[in-house]
Amino acid sequence: MSIADCEQEEAGWGVFEGLPGDPMMWVLVFSELVAFGLFLGAFIVAHAVKPAIFASGQTSLDATLAGYNTIVLVTSGWAAAKGVASARANARRHARLWLLLAMVLGGSFVTIKFFEYAHEIGSGIGLETSMFFTLYFLLTGFHLLHVCLGIIILAVVCSQADPVHVETGTIFWHMVDLVWIVMFPIVYLVR
Amino acid sequence: MRYQPDRLDLTLLALIALAFATMALTGAAHGLPLANGTVLAIAAIKGRRILLDYLDLRTAPPIWRGLITAWLMLIVGFAWSVSAVSVLLS
Repeated sequence: MSIADCEQEEAGWGVFEGLPGDPMMWVLVFSELVAFGLFLGAFIVAHAVKPAIFASGQTSLDATLAGYNTIVLVTSGWAAAKGVASARANARRHARLWLLLAMVLGGSFVTIKFFEYAHEIGSGIGLETSMFFTLYFLLTGFHLLHVCLGIIILAVVCSQADPVHVETGTIFWHMVDLVWIVMFPIVYLVR
Repeated sequence: MRYQPDRLDLTLLALIALAFATMALTGAAHGLPLANGTVLAIAAIKGRRILLDYLDLRTAPPIWRGLITAWLMLIVGFAWSVSAVSVLLS
């Protein structure tokens, strides 16, 4: 063991002590929350500046479909959390099944979102239709990219189902879930 | 053997019920500060359940729980106050 390893072992993770999973994932999660927070803040300010454009844009969105997608994503988060509980209990086969369910539901979220985009694009709506749709496609597209990345992370940790790895991978997944919970009413519902 | 629902199961049920409540409000009086405040308050409750039970921060050091709760409340509070001011000024 090197001196650096010994020092690391003695010091632990400092302020990150007590958080589940690998602390480096928390650094990523906090930076993502700041980025999404700034993006949502910009959307809120733009809405206040151009209320008519945003009200008109929101009426073209399918809030009910997005609401069902919320249910799909929170159910996926539940399956991922169940996977963590199974991995901690050393029931690795169960953990893999729960994570697989979380990934399938995550894939369903992506499919529903693409269906929603296809419907909007089919109605003649695009990135340059208005300021609302520019921000809408960028914000939801950025989130969708994180959902896809989250599914890949879950697939990576699923193979071994090691408790620490599963905890670490699902932290990212729940962050994606948390961001959608806040984004949904701000983008689709608040007038 | 009967299945005993755990905290995660109850959280999922609460999140689904709150999601349906939000969808029911979708057709309600849009633009009113109360309607905006209700859907945002529901989002804050859902977010809090996710960070406590899914992210498992219930037993984590209070500073981390507080930081993510502050992020949640800041965005939801900002969205509500900006929309309320816009409605009052229009």
